Amino acid sequence: MRRRQFAVLPALALAAPAIAQSDQRPELRVAVQKISNSNTLETPREQSNVGFRLSTLFVEGLIGTGWTTDMRAVPELATAWRRVDDRTVEFDLRADVRMHDGRVMTAEDAAFSIGGARLYGSATPPEVVATARRTFPGFERMEIPREGVLRFVNRIPDVTLEGRLAQNVGVVVSQAAFEAAENWLAWARRPVGTGPYRVAEYRPDSSLTFEAHDAYWGGRPPARRVRVVEVPEVSSRVNALFSGEVDFITDMPPDQIPIIERNPRFEVLGSPINNIRILAFDAGHAVLRNPLVRRALTHAIDRRAIVDSLWAGRTEMPRGLQLPFFGDMYVADWESPRFDVAEARRLLREASYRGEPIPYRCLNNYYTGQTATAQVLVEMWRAAGLNVQLQMMENFSQISEPGPTRAIRDWSVTHTFGDPVGSLVRAMGPRGELQNQREWTNEEFNRLSATLESSTDRAERRAAHARMLTIIEREDPGYMVLHTAATFIGKRRDIRWRASQGWPLDFRASNLSFGA
Amino acid sequence: MLRFFGFRLLRAAITIVMVVTFAFVVLRLSGDPALLIMSVDAPPEAVAAFRTAWGLDEPLWVQYFKYFSAIFEGDLGRSMRDGRPALTLVLERVPATLALTIPALLIKLCIGIPAGITAALHRNSLLDRLVMALAVAGFTIPSFVLGLLLVLLFAVQLGWLPSGGQESWRHAILPVITLGVGGAAVLARFTRSAMLEVLGQPYIRTASAKGVPWRAVVWGHALPNAAIPTVTIVGFMVGSLIAGAVVVESVFSWPGVGRLLVVAVANRDLAVVQCILLLVAATMVTSNLVVDLLYGALDPRLRSGLASAPKGAAA
Repeated sequence: MRRRQFAVLPALALAAPAIAQSDQRPELRVAVQKISNSNTLETPREQSNVGFRLSTLFVEGLIGTGWTTDMRAVPELATAWRRVDDRTVEFDLRADVRMHDGRVMTAEDAAFSIGGARLYGSATPPEVVATARRTFPGFERMEIPREGVLRFVNRIPDVTLEGRLAQNVGVVVSQAAFEAAENWLAWARRPVGTGPYRVAEYRPDSSLTFEAHDAYWGGRPPARRVRVVEVPEVSSRVNALFSGEVDFITDMPPDQIPIIERNPRFEVLGSPINNIRILAFDAGHAVLRNPLVRRALTHAIDRRAIVDSLWAGRTEMPRGLQLPFFGDMYVADWESPRFDVAEARRLLREASYRGEPIPYRCLNNYYTGQTATAQVLVEMWRAAGLNVQLQMMENFSQISEPGPTRAIRDWSVTHTFGDPVGSLVRAMGPRGELQNQREWTNEEFNRLSATLESSTDRAERRAAHARMLTIIEREDPGYMVLHTAATFIGKRRDIRWRASQGWPLDFRASNLSFGA
Repeated sequence: MLRFFGFRLLRAAITIVMVVTFAFVVLRLSGDPALLIMSVDAPPEAVAAFRTAWGLDEPLWVQYFKYFSAIFEGDLGRSMRDGRPALTLVLERVPATLALTIPALLIKLCIGIPAGITAALHRNSLLDRLVMALAVAGFTIPSFVLGLLLVLLFAVQLGWLPSGGQESWRHAILPVITLGVGGAAVLARFTRSAMLEVLGQPYIRTASAKGVPWRAVVWGHALPNAAIPTVTIVGFMVGSLIAGAVVVESVFSWPGVGRLLVVAVANRDLAVVQCILLLVAATMVTSNLVVDLLYGALDPRLRSGLASAPKGAAA
């Protein structure tokens, strides 16, 4: 194996200048609101929407996600996988995957990336280790039973191992490059993976330049270079698109769509993604302690009106905190509480609600259209007799701050993989944020969470999921669903490209081409 | 003289300590850096680990004491975003900001002062009204509005200049104009007012009555006396060279100190914010000291007053 690598490298070195000289591929320029929150590109450190957007350009996992198709698991660096038992998944690794440093990916690289010093080393920042432990809570060891085969072994039975491994925490990187890096930060700013583009230059808070990884296993990338620039202001991004300085702009609020599409040279693509906007309830608040008031809050909202007016109908109302890509775990007949002002008023009368103020903490457009949505919500609640008072906050720390003024807060939940464990349990379960923040708890819900996490009986898991939705969305509301989040991307019309159903930008040959 | 400088230095040091303390308390009480830097999507365990690693779980007074102790050892702390020394991060951005603010200052001086003088010398004429109308417009239009208008015209419509970024000198033109126009308008208004006040003084009439040519009256008598309020304003402008382009840097995606400050405040990246504040305070204090010295150079009465003043009067 090693001899073959050495034989290939000189050939590549000789071919590289010729390839560069004849490279007529265009450079793709993308303006984003933010490149990275942490000023690093290492996926377990940059667990954010902006991080998810770019990570698929340069790193890949064993299992991928069909972002532009049906969101189901797809082969990526593993061509196939199978269960050895309830605790073990075995992967057939893709052969001849060349990494950005020119080496051929090995099973050792994959084992190191998921179970080695990259995630658990002594020099690894503690928050990275914590993220890894949260993603793979039962991880025991990696095994390489034979060449080209890798096993992930868990301590306890877990039916969601494949979903956990499809997250971008366990992407495969070059062990040699990791070990050769000067320090962790140097590595985290220039990770060496297998994706279609390699990191060429990263200037924090300013720009990120990728170069095509021509030896990419999925085909030669269609862009010679992808240059991502940080343009925090929406209007500045639109201007950059109109002036021809960039080809793509991300994070477009719906009200900008008609402005962009007025120009025939541009279009806006985008759709609902794997993230659902919700409002979290603090069941400890003096007024919301009564579940009848929380139920009234859920019935007083006309979600259809919000989606049609503020989103121009370009997003959806999900059936609770779940998405169809859950497969057989999707409760297809589930309905969120219906819009029924009379029912809201009846519940308020039953709860003896006398117009006591209910604070609602909101950020200024962290989520698309957040402030306008909040204002509409307050008016809808007022129409039903609820005295909800909007409180604008500066950051999430203030939003979550416990105290007597915490009652309703804005939030969103990302479905990290196609199972309720990746969203409902992760966010609302006994170790989820809602309960960590001491906003809500329910004994039966927590028992069922354990069932979802540990049971291997699909029927039992489906029943548990349906019952959990009933508890937390109807009987004892811990949150209410607003709508599916959507992301909109403005682009040159003459570039053929499909938007994904999540944050990631897919600029591989299968999804991007230039010219008429 | 020593007492004069000593007092000003002490006052400057107290100002800086107060600024830093205020910023420390406000930033810490108004947001948890761990949650802001790690993002809301990060697992709670990761946020907790981050908090412990950076000592954010310690009492506020302990954090404050440690921070100040480190400053006296020359350590301005590390960015919680990526662990690099805050001073290094800030100094990396200073040249980019100065590349905007120094040319903008030159524009302010080269346009604002002559415009103000011209308007004053042609008081109530069409020229005066035109200059003042432009000055009021330049003064009242917010920089982000002016910046976007310039981008719409020169980048989107005409395609002559880039709309943002920092890749070449052409990228600096629009932000420099945006910064320069507002400041020039301010200077023009102040210079005109100062000149008008001086031109009405008896010594100007006396000089004219003695037959001194008008040009010499203006250059020799009016301008030096009108310079004092103008120098004060210019002093403020020099003091804000480091962090005076926060809005413009955001509009034009210019990665300078202003952008860094916005990001650092949003993330409660305390060491970086404090480092920028220290730098800004130091620049402002130095600028004020220079202005004080210039007062003496421009007005001999202030020099002699300073020398003959009873103890403490100079303060």
